[in-house]
Amino acid sequence: MSERPIIAARGVTRRFGGLLALDSIDLDIPRGIVQAIIGPNGSGKTTLLNALSGASHADAGSIRIDGTEVFGLRPHRIARLGLARTFQTIRIFTNLSVLENVEVAAACNRPGSLFDVVMATARQRSGEAEIERSAREALEIVGLGGRAGDRAAQLPYAQQRLLEIARALAAKPDVLLLDEPAAGMNMTESMTLLDTIAKLKARGLTILLVEHNVRLVMGISDRVAVLDFGRKIAEGTPVEVQRNPHVIEAYLGRRHRHA
Amino acid sequence: MNNRIPLALGAIAVLAIPLTTHDGYIIQLLNIAILNAIVVLGLNFATGWTGQINFGQAAFYGLGAYTTAIATKAGVPWIATPFLSVVIVTAASLVLGLPTLRLRTYYLAMTTIGFGEIIRLIIVHWEPVTGGTSGLRAIPGISVFGLAPQGQIQHYYLLIAVLALAVLVAVRIRHSSLGRAMIATKDSEIAAEQSGVDTTRIKLLAFMIGAIYAGLAGCLYASSIRFISPDSFSGTQAVLLMTMLIVGGMGSIAGCIIGAVALTILPEALRFMGQWYLVLYGLGVIAVIVMAPGGLASVASMIRMRQASPR
Amino acid sequence: MGQLVVNGLALGSIYALVALGLLLIFNTVQIVNFAQGQLLMLGAFIGITGAATHDLPVAVAWAVTMLAMALIGLVFMVLVYFPLRGRPPFLVILTTIAMGIVLENLALIIWGPLPVSLPSPVHGAPLRFFGVVISMHQLFIFGTLAVILLLQFLMLNKTRFGILMQATAQDLHTARLVGIPVNRTIAVAFAFGAMLSGIAGLLVAPIFLAEPTMGGSLGLKGFVVSVIGGFGNLPGAVIGGLFLGLIETFGARYISSNFRDAYAFIVMIAVLVAWPRGLFGEKSSEKV
Repeated sequence: MSERPIIAARGVTRRFGGLLALDSIDLDIPRGIVQAIIGPNGSGKTTLLNALSGASHADAGSIRIDGTEVFGLRPHRIARLGLARTFQTIRIFTNLSVLENVEVAAACNRPGSLFDVVMATARQRSGEAEIERSAREALEIVGLGGRAGDRAAQLPYAQQRLLEIARALAAKPDVLLLDEPAAGMNMTESMTLLDTIAKLKARGLTILLVEHNVRLVMGISDRVAVLDFGRKIAEGTPVEVQRNPHVIEAYLGRRHRHA
Repeated sequence: MNNRIPLALGAIAVLAIPLTTHDGYIIQLLNIAILNAIVVLGLNFATGWTGQINFGQAAFYGLGAYTTAIATKAGVPWIATPFLSVVIVTAASLVLGLPTLRLRTYYLAMTTIGFGEIIRLIIVHWEPVTGGTSGLRAIPGISVFGLAPQGQIQHYYLLIAVLALAVLVAVRIRHSSLGRAMIATKDSEIAAEQSGVDTTRIKLLAFMIGAIYAGLAGCLYASSIRFISPDSFSGTQAVLLMTMLIVGGMGSIAGCIIGAVALTILPEALRFMGQWYLVLYGLGVIAVIVMAPGGLASVASMIRMRQASPR
Repeated sequence: MGQLVVNGLALGSIYALVALGLLLIFNTVQIVNFAQGQLLMLGAFIGITGAATHDLPVAVAWAVTMLAMALIGLVFMVLVYFPLRGRPPFLVILTTIAMGIVLENLALIIWGPLPVSLPSPVHGAPLRFFGVVISMHQLFIFGTLAVILLLQFLMLNKTRFGILMQATAQDLHTARLVGIPVNRTIAVAFAFGAMLSGIAGLLVAPIFLAEPTMGGSLGLKGFVVSVIGGFGNLPGAVIGGLFLGLIETFGARYISSNFRDAYAFIVMIAVLVAWPRGLFGEKSSEKV
């Protein structure tokens, strides 16, 4: 009983000038797991995420989300196909409230017609109510329900990261890409984050987790892929990867990299 | 809701203004201020919310005015002119909007300035149709099935009603996924895209809606002031509209109105200063930008916040 | 037709000078000065005041003007650059436009709205080649452009200070960290940027008569040139300027002289449609 992987990437390649940021990456992510992508600085993790989400297209390769080819599609089309992401540097909508931030994504598959908006039709009102309900639900999951009315810019850093996750959730994705979600968090905050990720997995989401902090990731991931210099050098369960000599070498490095 | 009382008082005050003066000139000035407010509200969609610099708003204003003036002088019944104006400015907004979608900041500013200049040049040089630099006078007024407002005061109430409608639509848009998508596009285009927002469509839509506001305001301008010339829709006007948006408070609906009214009345009040008025205007704008970039609306909310939490 | 070429190139050289001033400032502090045209206008009027009103010999008037423009550039820097450091580009655009309005109206107050003329610093019979007339003034324009380009090249590449300026232009923060006197390079950029526009004004006035509202369209053409040539690219600005001068002159002659000013914009829009980041890429765009 082989189920189709939710993400199937083949030969994904990306060049920046003379630099080969992604070197023909192949990656299959089965449905419902937490897949971690780790690797030293500059190994191409974020570039890979950008390619998958459409934020910065790869130069070559095939990317299928649940069987549908998405290579070259604009990010909003990929989002509407069920892939949501957070960012390495926080990109919340500072001029919107916490609730509105999430509502932007909650409207994901419902662009809405100008006529309905201007005329304040019943359809518009019920659509808005649904969006608000959906957004509040997402905020509850990450624990920000109480701050819905606050200006997003006023949230402390760690909560802004959670807001990004809530926003991504509101788009009702099948796959969630998290780009270094624990960056800048202290121990307690990171533990809360891990609990949240576990909750999401329990709800059936597939999670792709890019993290620089290796120890943090090992506890929660089902599978780990390791990138180095744009190539996938190892793949497997956390335990397998931890013992892999190539991985150890990449991090400690005979090839010394300026960190 | 404690919003209602000040709002009601404000409404009563606004409606009572014409009773305080019999000077037709002042009422006409207020009418122009109201029209400017509608244009600035339109500008707010593209520039205030979506973050797309637009120095072409005065051109849309002018297109609406000239379309209406030319049509009514040619005998077209007035009732058709709002629709005509909307069609013309929508087409123009696509002509300007589509090529500029991928432009940013400086290039966008220059392109919209250029667009405004081209429109102005066409108006100035197409003399047989537009009257050239002298403009068009004796433009027929508003007339719907025989009903026509007479005198500046009746126009005032009509324009207030139109402004109220414009505000209502703007509020509805703000509190819908369209409005949120616009602001999201400005705050972080990438994050908006990843949240499912088609930022290209949003930018174009914001542009178009803004142009329609300006076009309709232009239609009403021609029909109520009854005289138009290219000077009212020049590049300097485009800059003035932008300053009204900024001084009032970019992104704030109330700010648009405050800015428009304040900066329409100010030049008249300071008319005695002659040329110095514009010098002070420019310096004033710089001062506002440096000290209160959120405009008057932000000053108001800063005061409110200080009152709420005394330290 | 050869005459059109000569006239076009002369006009284009002036546009190139405006663009060079614009780019000098932009390269150093990443600000597009929408008041650059008004600086040109000031240069013309200060020169006129010196030469006509005070009967200074034209050469002296030129010297005084260049000095005055440098000072004005510094004042500009203090009023516009320092208060607005770090603010979003949109606000900077508005501020420089506002400055332009201030300068234009100050000029209207001081000198009145009527056009005035300025004699050229050079005299003599025009050259004639194959039916083409090149006036002494046009030669002077070409000569001035060449001299300025040479000086600019030498200064930027062969002097120590010039290299510091390039470093500041590439990365202001790092330059400051490394100990480069960044404020000094910025001051020089503003001073010279204003001076270049002032020189352009002194060159334009003998051809077209000066009036306080002349700055608007000339400034805009400076931007157009920068866009065509590629923002930040100095040789590109020169080529772009000459190119625009030719297009405008030929367009005015063969298509319509009423829309003279529009040709610049049409060309610019055409370029931007094909290359939205400008011919050589623009620095402001959201990184992922």
